[in-house]
Amino acid sequence: MTKLFLGLCTATLVLGWVLASPPARAGDASAGSDVFKTECSECHSIKEGRNKKGPSLFGVVGRKAATISDYEYSDALRSKTDWVWTPEKLHSYLSQPAKQADPGTKMKYDGLSDAKQLDDLISYLSTVH
Amino acid sequence: MLSFLNRRTMRRPKMLLWCGLAALLLLSSTAAQAIPAFARQTGSACADCHAGSYGPILTPYGMRFKLNGYTDTDGHGTKIPLAGQLTETHTAPARGPSSTALTEADLYIAGRISDQFGGYAKVVSAYTGRNNTYNTTLSNLDLRFVAKELKLNGRDFTLGVSVNNSPGFDDPVDVLPAATSLGPATGSGPTGTFLGQSGPNNPANRVIGANVYGLYDSNWYGEVGTYTSLPTSTQDRLGYNISGDPGKISDTGYFRFAYMKDMKRQFFSVGVVGLTTKRQLPRTGPSDNLFDLGYDLSYQFIGNRDNIVQLSYVNILEKRKYGSTPVGPTGLTALPRGVLHDETLSVTYTFKQAYSLQVAHLQSNGTRDAVRFGPFGNPDTTANLITLFWTPFGREDSFTSIANLKLSATWFRFTKFNGVTNNIFGVPFGAVQTKPGDLNAFSVSASVAF
Repeated sequence: MTKLFLGLCTATLVLGWVLASPPARAGDASAGSDVFKTECSECHSIKEGRNKKGPSLFGVVGRKAATISDYEYSDALRSKTDWVWTPEKLHSYLSQPAKQADPGTKMKYDGLSDAKQLDDLISYLSTVH
Repeated sequence: MLSFLNRRTMRRPKMLLWCGLAALLLLSSTAAQAIPAFARQTGSACADCHAGSYGPILTPYGMRFKLNGYTDTDGHGTKIPLAGQLTETHTAPARGPSSTALTEADLYIAGRISDQFGGYAKVVSAYTGRNNTYNTTLSNLDLRFVAKELKLNGRDFTLGVSVNNSPGFDDPVDVLPAATSLGPATGSGPTGTFLGQSGPNNPANRVIGANVYGLYDSNWYGEVGTYTSLPTSTQDRLGYNISGDPGKISDTGYFRFAYMKDMKRQFFSVGVVGLTTKRQLPRTGPSDNLFDLGYDLSYQFIGNRDNIVQLSYVNILEKRKYGSTPVGPTGLTALPRGVLHDETLSVTYTFKQAYSLQVAHLQSNGTRDAVRFGPFGNPDTTANLITLFWTPFGREDSFTSIANLKLSATWFRFTKFNGVTNNIFGVPFGAVQTKPGDLNAFSVSASVAF
């Protein structure tokens, strides 16, 4: 009985942790690679240390904003000291025009309205580290 | 005027043959290519701006770079604004001896001066075909001032000025003949439209002009400007033989309007172009009125960059009102007016941004004029260009992304020349006749850009 109780408690805790966690985005990283090529690759590289018009996106997921040392960020992004590129933040940022998400940014991007492509892209970026 | 026309119509067939072959070589070599100095400046790979990682055809991203006055940067300070290109070519003409030579050495001075100023100039040292001698010329020139990130009616607006030396060279869509160097090599006489730039005495690199352009809402492009021809003394100093002088042009107006739509995986454009000028050729002769009006269509399927298809069609009509009606050697009088018509259709498929096949159909035709166009009074030409090339570098995942090698095989074929499909130079019965196919040539070349 005690074991059953402990088991139920454990299951409840696990279930509660899962439910309390941010919703996982079930993106397809493979498809996201194509989305990256179409939407991002002209201005961003996934190679570590390689900046183009935009900074390298190597290891971007989980990175604090404006922290690549040899890239010249806009003042607008530099001022976002509390921004971390979590999947949720990326989802919010990339789903709208960049000038709207971060007024004053150097980034010229109209946003990605296709939710699946956005999930795929973020899943792909999560693999680049 | 008469003496000029007579000189042209009475040229020996062999000379004309060489003219055709020279034009062929020009077509295959002088197109503006990917410029590694720009890759270093932007941090971009060659393949970001050119589907085949070498050019000249631009991707939509490359078009934006051009529109922004070549000023985009990765922000890592000033880069050395120099690049070079060497081209070794083996040419096997259908008639005549084959040859192998270092056909071209180019120096590009290319880069940004500030966020508003950028441009490039290309200096070409080209093999003359004789005794290992080279002729150095100032080729393409495009200097720009651009004001970016303006707003007009709440929409993005870019305003710029381009100073360039060839009408249409600054075209952002990069489909006009001045930008692609793609046009039919035409026959004897004043053939070819002014904007088509494939006929003799065309304005390419021998004029100077200033154009004001604007891009509204990322899609609508407009440009107006004017050109004047360089004095023959200046052309000479820039390395050009003054026999190719485009003449003295005046009251020249140029316009270009286009709708461009970049859908990331696809791109299309629809455009019109026009030019009006008064031309004295030769400079002491009477003035001819030329009015060019053309339209163009282009489409690109880009997808995920693995399979890229690029199509373009350009159709330019030129109306001429001649300043004189000379009498030819046979007693016929030249027509006071005429129409010329140049068309090019090009299809390019690129696999993995490294393997490209381009097929182009080029044709030129016009009003028959027994005095102006020799030997049959017919300026019609039809030709095809087929090019296969491989570029091992210039992509982000290649050994280097900011320099490249291009190995190409090109077949240029004529099916009509001087309006006929046989005996194109009209030699008498019994003499060696030349067919259009005798002007064909196959060439293999290796170019390195660094």
